[in-house]
Amino acid sequence: MDNYQASRMREASYGHSLIPPCQVACPLHMEIGEYVDLVAQGKVLEALQVIRDGNPFPSICAYVCTHPCEDACRRSQVDKSIAIRALKRFAVEFGGDRMIQLEAETTQSEKVAVVGSGPAGLACAYYLRKLGYPVTIFEAYSELGGMLRVGIPQYRLPREVVDTEVQRLIHMGVEIRANTRVISLDLLFDMGYKAVFITVGAHQSLRMGIEGEESPGVIDGATFLREVNLGLKPSLGEEVAVVGGGNVAMDAARAAVRLGASKVSILYRRSRAEMPAGPDEIEQALEEGVETMFLVTPTKMKRENGRLSVTCVRMELGEPDAGGRSRPVPIEDSDFNIEFDTLITAIGQAPQISEDFRLRIGKGSTIQVDPITLTTNRTGVFAGGDAVTGPATVTQALASGRQAAFRIDDYLRHRYPLVDKEAEETLSGELLPKTIEMIRKIERLEPPLLPPEARAKEFKSVELIYNWEAAVDEARRCLRCGMGAEILFQDKCATCLTCLRVCPYHVPYLDEGGTIQIPADQCQACGICVAECPAKAIVLRKPYDRRHIDEELEHALKSAAESKSKPLIIGFCCQYGLFGTGALASLWREGKAGIWIVPVLCVAKLEGGHVLRAFEMGAEGVFIAGCGEQCSRENTAFWVLQRVEKVRKTLAQIGLEPERLQTFNLRIAEGDTAEALDNFTEQIGGLCLASVIKQEVKS
Amino acid sequence: MANSLFEEKLNSNGFLVTTEIGPPKGADVSEMVHHIDFLKDKVDAINVTDNQSSVMRFPSLGGCLLVKERGGEPIFQITCRDRNRLAIQADLLLAYSRDIKNVLCLTGDSVDVGDHKEAKPVFDLDSVQLLRVVREMESGKDMGGNELKGVPQFCLGASVHPEADFIEPQLVKFEKKVIAGAQFFQTQGIFDLESLRRFMQYASQFNIKILAGIIVLASARMARYMNDNVPGIIVSQAIIDELANVEKGKGLQKGIEIASRLIKTIREENLCHGVHIMAVGNEGIVPDILEAA
Amino acid sequence: MIVAEQKPMEEIRRVIAPYERVLLLGCGTCMTVCGAGGEREVSFLNSALRVAQAKSSDGIHSFSEYTVKRQCDFEFLDLLTDKVNEVDAILSLGCGIGVQVVAERFPDMPVLPGVNTSFMGMAKEWGVWDERCAACGDCRLAETAGICPITRCTKGILNGPCAGTKNGKCEANKDMDCAWILIYKRLERLQQLEKMRRYYPPRNFRVIPRPRRIVMKADVELGEDNG
Repeated sequence: MDNYQASRMREASYGHSLIPPCQVACPLHMEIGEYVDLVAQGKVLEALQVIRDGNPFPSICAYVCTHPCEDACRRSQVDKSIAIRALKRFAVEFGGDRMIQLEAETTQSEKVAVVGSGPAGLACAYYLRKLGYPVTIFEAYSELGGMLRVGIPQYRLPREVVDTEVQRLIHMGVEIRANTRVISLDLLFDMGYKAVFITVGAHQSLRMGIEGEESPGVIDGATFLREVNLGLKPSLGEEVAVVGGGNVAMDAARAAVRLGASKVSILYRRSRAEMPAGPDEIEQALEEGVETMFLVTPTKMKRENGRLSVTCVRMELGEPDAGGRSRPVPIEDSDFNIEFDTLITAIGQAPQISEDFRLRIGKGSTIQVDPITLTTNRTGVFAGGDAVTGPATVTQALASGRQAAFRIDDYLRHRYPLVDKEAEETLSGELLPKTIEMIRKIERLEPPLLPPEARAKEFKSVELIYNWEAAVDEARRCLRCGMGAEILFQDKCATCLTCLRVCPYHVPYLDEGGTIQIPADQCQACGICVAECPAKAIVLRKPYDRRHIDEELEHALKSAAESKSKPLIIGFCCQYGLFGTGALASLWREGKAGIWIVPVLCVAKLEGGHVLRAFEMGAEGVFIAGCGEQCSRENTAFWVLQRVEKVRKTLAQIGLEPERLQTFNLRIAEGDTAEALDNFTEQIGGLCLASVIKQEVKS
Repeated sequence: MANSLFEEKLNSNGFLVTTEIGPPKGADVSEMVHHIDFLKDKVDAINVTDNQSSVMRFPSLGGCLLVKERGGEPIFQITCRDRNRLAIQADLLLAYSRDIKNVLCLTGDSVDVGDHKEAKPVFDLDSVQLLRVVREMESGKDMGGNELKGVPQFCLGASVHPEADFIEPQLVKFEKKVIAGAQFFQTQGIFDLESLRRFMQYASQFNIKILAGIIVLASARMARYMNDNVPGIIVSQAIIDELANVEKGKGLQKGIEIASRLIKTIREENLCHGVHIMAVGNEGIVPDILEAA
Repeated sequence: MIVAEQKPMEEIRRVIAPYERVLLLGCGTCMTVCGAGGEREVSFLNSALRVAQAKSSDGIHSFSEYTVKRQCDFEFLDLLTDKVNEVDAILSLGCGIGVQVVAERFPDMPVLPGVNTSFMGMAKEWGVWDERCAACGDCRLAETAGICPITRCTKGILNGPCAGTKNGKCEANKDMDCAWILIYKRLERLQQLEKMRRYYPPRNFRVIPRPRRIVMKADVELGEDNG
């Protein structure tokens, strides 16, 4: 095999994308870059598919995930991070997640018991079922979902969403035993279960430990939310205090507002900056009228004249504690009294594990497990979720449940668990100022919210969904970390410096040895250098990106040849934006009067060679439709025009009319584009006729 | 001892007048002979141009021979564009043997501005080197160091461009030409006497003679054309306007008027040592100019 | 860098007309850098030739493509020994040197030029190359502040400028700066104007007679006494 073939093969098999920080930060390691890119193309079905590959319950995460991906998103180095969770919600809703039916077969004989039906338990059951095991979920309450059901209020996670997932599991064949509290693990093994997953969550509210905590009118947050979610409407009176600063405290406060309390106050012993609750939650709570008292903590309470009289002391921030947060220190003689009708404690929860389970318990009353295998001190007993970690996020629980399922599978199949696959390379490094400067600043589009006045009246979902345009525009802000260009064939590189000169973002540079480097963590994946490199030494890291245009072109040409419609016009059209769903989509679907669309992921990647190939295979006319100045990458239009001029010049030299190649801008009014395309088709038709006549005249 | 009539006149302190004749594009020299006859007694010497503006014409050497035949005093314009050093030295030997002893040493316009744009430009020498070469021949040796049988002697001139928009490099070149042996200079077309005055302040330190080049324009269009296309010519806007404001048909008259005016001032103020009139196709009107001046 | 421009399609088609199987041979060094004959250009030309053939429908050609690192060294051409048995002609997109070396290496194969080798020059910016060196063999850039009068002055004179400069541009090509104005300004900046005031004698145009050769190998005698 010669060097040529060898290099082609090397290119074909090479797929060195780097894992972007969003994916690293996600507890489920979802392919976020992939589905955001699909949303940017308006392809919700495909986006949902990618989401479902990585997440058993996308609908749930779409509502309540705390989005560590957004915190890691590198777009925030330019302006603001991508609204990933909202985009996921968009894909889930518009992609019809609700409609998806799941099936599973039983292929294994070992029964597995899952104790607890919170997110970790549900996820574990889902994956075990897909692996073919008979699974039973034991749930002490009447309804499934754990914190999803009894902890998170409905304005954040509607009950139908949880119901749908539970129904799907049932449809897959998972056995549900509700209203069944497991009191002994031995009993489960006696019943024939070969493995048990304990995931009972952390529902036991921590006590403040102050005088008067037993008084009427004092209720713990977990119990309060459970009652609210179960439809009971605990009476709160007019003035309510909530002690704590986490999400449970926010949820409790906002639920109190919806239950009619006229004044709800958060009492928190540190300042706003240290509150563990999500910033969105805090923001929305404040919008709904919740008041805050920072740097205060109750020291004692008593019931007096039908109200709660609460003595508080003011705090100041002292030295940081083990967790790194400033330790609050009471200020001497700063006591004051304040009266409420109800006080809700929400200072944390802990698991409550029965001693009969004989499991080793550690700090914070959590079950101790091996971090890789999730095994406990008892053979065949695994544990995960909040019961192991203490209160954590829904997504972390899902990841824990998934991990448990695969470890239980390893155990039952007598396999040693595989050590983490060779760690895939992740993207590191901050964007450099010279690159940030060139990236167009676009405001982050937040999903619409119900107005605060409307929100305070009921438990309907606060966050609404993007419309198509907003979702697509927001998704196009993605920097495509790790999917950029790389000099694959260093031996072909002539160091001509073309890539360095054409890059709009000043990414390639000459190192000390005089070799060109294209740092993966700076590249914005526009594709310009790939198409311009005179030695064809640069490739895009994703194999799909590399072959995409060639394959789509061959496919279109084949279909066109079969249909024999005349005149044959090939149109290279950008997929980003709403092309796939707009009026021009009709062109795509029907092959209007001989127009065959070749979808491309940004026309910056389109090369002169592609256009010539279209002509070679019989196209009478070719057009390129891009986003013009609105392309999410810079200078695209300039390079497309350079290539167009070169092809036109070549066409003229061959004796073909240069007008056979045209460019269009998809972003101007659709009517105009459609009209322009009609004119173009007519023009090409005319040219064909003319050349036919010329042929006849010649002969 | 002067080498030629013209050199004698150079050495005297009179006001010098030279003019130039452009040879025909073809073998028919009758008109040129006519002009020679017409002008030979009215001026101190006649230049014959050498494929001027890189347009192929009857050669300067041939024209000088005709001038000599008709009794005039020729100045042989020799450029470096069309001949290499062998041809140049050979032509100089011929010129001297036929009593053509005044030589104007020029680099020559670029091939690109003429009518044979694909020709190979020679430029084996430039004007400064040419001046030196001639002086070396006068000492009895050719460029290869070989002894000459019959040693020529010449009166040498060169060109200078006082109205150049960036004058310093031109002055460096001018000085090099003086050192190389130029005795007299004919300037590029003068339209602005101020720049001539400034130049003369600098040039008068050298022991050479300066003849101001005066171009006769026939119309504003001609002026603009020369501005854009002819190397070395910069016509001022004031003059273009003057030409533009006359009625049709009177352009040439105006041109004559302008030329005469310039010459008169130069002569009266003794700005330089003489003038070199370039009528560019209108050789017939030279006497009129001289009369008017 | 050697800079070239691809020949017009019509000329290329004309020279390859008599040959059925044609190998389009690219060069991975200078021709890649100047964008006239690298792998991408070879690929593009291949497509263009096929389009032309499809259009005229009298196509007899079949094209193959290959790019070597350099065409001006025999060793790189060894990779072609098998390929040449399968083609009737080679259209080389290498510079004039490459075409000749390939022809010398494969004397039984018609080797045709696909580019016009134009000059040795530099890239001012992407897509713009300017001539800088004429390989005169007698470099005098020390006298002219690093600006070559042979290439950058249209007349190539050594005692410049001529009278044809206007607005700092050359009479022959109004887009090009007058080299001697540039030289004057740079010498002034370096405070070395006396270099311009010197007389420079006529060039030696035959520094080495053509075709020129440079020998770095020394003639040594091996014997018992030496090394």
